[in-house]
Amino acid sequence: MAEDLVLDTAIRDWVLIPLSVVMVLIGILRYFVSKLMRSFQVPDPKIVKEGQVIVRARNLRGAANFIPPKSFRSRRVYFSNEENGLLFVPKGQAQNAQAQMFSDPNMAMDMMKKNLSMIIPQTLTFAWVNFFFSGFVAAKIPFPLTQRFRSMLQNGIDLSTVDVSYVSSRSWYFLNLFGLRGLFSLILGEENAMDDTQRMMQMGGFGFDPSKSLSAEKDGLDIVQHEWALPKFEHRAEAVLKKLVS
Amino acid sequence: MVSKTEETQLNRLENQVDNGGGGAWEYLCLVRKLKVRRSEKVLKYGLSILNDPKKRSALGPEEWTLYEQVAIAAMDCQCLNVAKDCKKALLKKFPESKRVGRLEGMLLEAKGLWAEAEKVYSSLLEDNPLDQVIHKRKVAMAKAQGNISGAIESLNKYLEIFMADHDAWRELAEIYVSLQMYKQAAFCYEELILSQPTVPLYHLAYADVLYTLGGLENLQTSKKYYASTIDLTGGKNTRALLGVCLCTSAIGQVSKGRNKEDKESPELQSLAAKALEKEYRQKADDKLGLLTSALRSLKI
Repeated sequence: MAEDLVLDTAIRDWVLIPLSVVMVLIGILRYFVSKLMRSFQVPDPKIVKEGQVIVRARNLRGAANFIPPKSFRSRRVYFSNEENGLLFVPKGQAQNAQAQMFSDPNMAMDMMKKNLSMIIPQTLTFAWVNFFFSGFVAAKIPFPLTQRFRSMLQNGIDLSTVDVSYVSSRSWYFLNLFGLRGLFSLILGEENAMDDTQRMMQMGGFGFDPSKSLSAEKDGLDIVQHEWALPKFEHRAEAVLKKLVS
Repeated sequence: MVSKTEETQLNRLENQVDNGGGGAWEYLCLVRKLKVRRSEKVLKYGLSILNDPKKRSALGPEEWTLYEQVAIAAMDCQCLNVAKDCKKALLKKFPESKRVGRLEGMLLEAKGLWAEAEKVYSSLLEDNPLDQVIHKRKVAMAKAQGNISGAIESLNKYLEIFMADHDAWRELAEIYVSLQMYKQAAFCYEELILSQPTVPLYHLAYADVLYTLGGLENLQTSKKYYASTIDLTGGKNTRALLGVCLCTSAIGQVSKGRNKEDKESPELQSLAAKALEKEYRQKADDKLGLLTSALRSLKI
């Protein structure tokens, strides 16, 4: 069905542009509010230490071939020792970390604040879009799509014969939601981009982090085979010097 | 560590500012970013910016960072009045700030009032027990008072928590070397090599420490690390070349009675000697005689 619908330019003036402008403004407002509400979070010494241990263990794994075998072995024992190795986390403690994180009032409050500041504007804007801007075709996507996308993109339009490229304003809303991140990083400075998608991903995988990564590092370390690279260096040094002297 | 391009850029800016070509603010920003210690220049140009009200207001909110930078530079050059003035200005603007508290502690340190400075730092640490900079200042204070063992203790405690801080490992290694505790120094250098394996400086220092420790195994390892330094620097490091020659002759002496494992050792030593001669000929022709006689005595 390749009929060309002609869309009124008034749609562009009164739907697409205002919607984008509103989303940009809401994003900026959210940024400032979050800055005001951000409380100084005292870093937990245990977590800091674990982070550093992980970095050190990773360095050991990565550059293991540069130090003599004896030193490597003694360090490996230091890390993965059954009794008091740094990376060894007995099973009981692993569960504890997660439970503690959720019961600690401060942390729960912080998580709530962060999530709220993201959920509320999104919900409100979405409801507003649905209420005011539904029931008509808002834009045409420049490339053809399959019929599968009809339910997603054409939600307010109840005609089944309209080409799937003609979408409702709800899809314009989603496009803006994910696409304005670049614009925000320009306006608000490099690190303050509204990384909605990142935050949504963070919401999912939270409390397990410390103990899981420790045991992951321990496994990685146990696997490493130490192959001392230094003897090779002697040959290479010879080659270098030969070139230099000749 | 500062890379070569950054170093050339810094020198260029420094020359430009020295010869009256402006650009003092960029120079100060670069010094701050690279954490280089050029206190006299920072003091001179920073003060010139701060004392000129037009230039000062042109900086906007960066003005306070400049105050902090100039205060630290003034303390380094023992201009304590300047430092006190800067600190007063900062205190007026940020009354409850930890950074200003740290400056206060540093000012007390500069005056030599160790006990008061200790008190200030302890109170700051109570509020925030994980402040890295304050821990390091306490170590520096212990070192300045000559209490090296105290410095070692606090540095070790610091490293138990922040074990990925390679600057701290480097400081600890240097302290151990100054106290001739070479085994511990070797451990620290191994940590440094692990965290930054392509920096030839650490290989060289590690090789030096191993050579000083002595013993056949250490000598052989040390020779390998001198070789890796040569490889990483493209053969331009004179110390590594000399190190190779010394190591080979020392190994030869120690293992006189046993079987010499001849893998590739003779070639490396002769090549290193030749490279050394070439370099001396280019750069210090008059000392070439000294070099050849020293090398000849080694090869025996």
